[in-house]
Amino acid sequence: MNEGHVVGRLEEFPEGSHRVVTVGRRRIGVFNVKGTLHALPNLCPHQTGPLCEVKKVTGTTQSRVENDWAIEWAFDKEIIACPWHGIEYHVPTGRCLTFPEISIRSYEVSVDDGEVSVHF
Amino acid sequence: MDANHARLGEHLIVDASVHVQEGPLDLLPYCDEAWRPALQSIADNAKTAGIGAELWPPGLPGEATTATPEELKASVTERGVDLAVLCPTSLQKLSMVAHAEFASAVARAYNAWLTETWLRPEQGLLGCVVASAHAPADSAAQIEKYASHPGVVGVYLPGAAVDPLWGHRKYDPILRAAESAGLPVLLNSVEVMHPVFPFNTHGFDTSLARFTTSDPFSMMVNLIDMITTGVPARFPDLRVGVLGAGVTWMPFLSLRLDKVYLEKRREVPFLAERPSQYLKGYFYGSFPLEDAPNPDDFVTMVDLFEGENAMVFASGWPQDGYDSAEQILALPFSDEAKAKIVGGNALRLFNIDERGHRLSLSREAASR
Repeated sequence: MNEGHVVGRLEEFPEGSHRVVTVGRRRIGVFNVKGTLHALPNLCPHQTGPLCEVKKVTGTTQSRVENDWAIEWAFDKEIIACPWHGIEYHVPTGRCLTFPEISIRSYEVSVDDGEVSVHF
Repeated sequence: MDANHARLGEHLIVDASVHVQEGPLDLLPYCDEAWRPALQSIADNAKTAGIGAELWPPGLPGEATTATPEELKASVTERGVDLAVLCPTSLQKLSMVAHAEFASAVARAYNAWLTETWLRPEQGLLGCVVASAHAPADSAAQIEKYASHPGVVGVYLPGAAVDPLWGHRKYDPILRAAESAGLPVLLNSVEVMHPVFPFNTHGFDTSLARFTTSDPFSMMVNLIDMITTGVPARFPDLRVGVLGAGVTWMPFLSLRLDKVYLEKRREVPFLAERPSQYLKGYFYGSFPLEDAPNPDDFVTMVDLFEGENAMVFASGWPQDGYDSAEQILALPFSDEAKAKIVGGNALRLFNIDERGHRLSLSREAASR
């Protein structure tokens, strides 16, 4: 595991919350999705928008042949949409929904004695 | 013979849009009995014709340019064309017809007349059956009826004034039948304005204004509708062609759709890619060839939507201002691009070989 950088206490990241923290020159979004912490760069590869500074982590729509392409709600509380252009990302995987060929990096997150660290 | 005309012989030339000229009396013997009086009435007394006047306005039709398949073959050969795909003239306006049963009856009559009278696949005269938007189940049955005809290489969707647009799910039976038959759908428009279609253009005074806008607007709105209602998801193997609208609007449409898609993807989760990626997989007839004062500019416009693999030569013959393959060969495309645009791309669109044989039928025959 890469070097860890402490970004706060676990209680500062309750389930369903997200915060953007600064580590050195990096801005990193830390998300607690259903009890699991995820960390993503606060940088949308589209036009460098502040990706993680969203008001809310939401779900999104999907559509499947098995359901005759009806529009369904999916990935509830796992999706962010960049505040600049609305480009959507799946927080747990970093996968971009709008550009399927793009995934953003995820930082490893660890919790040690109540302290949350991101690693890079 | 100039250099470009001499070069026609070096290339396989497929003309994706040659218009036959169906008059009411041509279709009458092929039409359901109930609608023959309407066709006769148009022919006898066009000034007061009611039903069908959208298709054959008073004073028309004039004389057909060619009377027989042999004459037509001679005419296309003279223009250097090896394979010609026939499409309608009057029925381009089929979607404007108010009476649904009449419209379907005329489409059935046209399909019977076309296949019996004009299609000569062994001579390179191929054609598209017309699907009436009025009765999708009936149109699907027509596609199934002609699915194995060796001369039928596509399904023609009249786009002018169609309401709702061709992406509506009510038309799914037509698209499904085309996809199952291995036939592409060919969207086409014509110089028609309509109070709600596409946008206040019915007020135009001139043909200049109408022809500039009607065809590309119609094709753009129909394509947008098909993409945003999920036709590519529902019919992943359906091939789509667009005729009669030129191609220079494609860079605009691709960029604009992709731009808006970024923010609106949630509305269309059935799309796995950006809209432009689907548009690039469709085919676009060259007529009317929008040759720019600087020919390099036109080539750049085509490059912007990867049109080298998507553009198909379509003459629009015998419409006013029809184009020739020589005009495309004279443009500063690469030799490879020219060969694809004047012939190769059309083989993929229609899924035929260089002799005009339908590949899906030869596979079927081979598997029997």
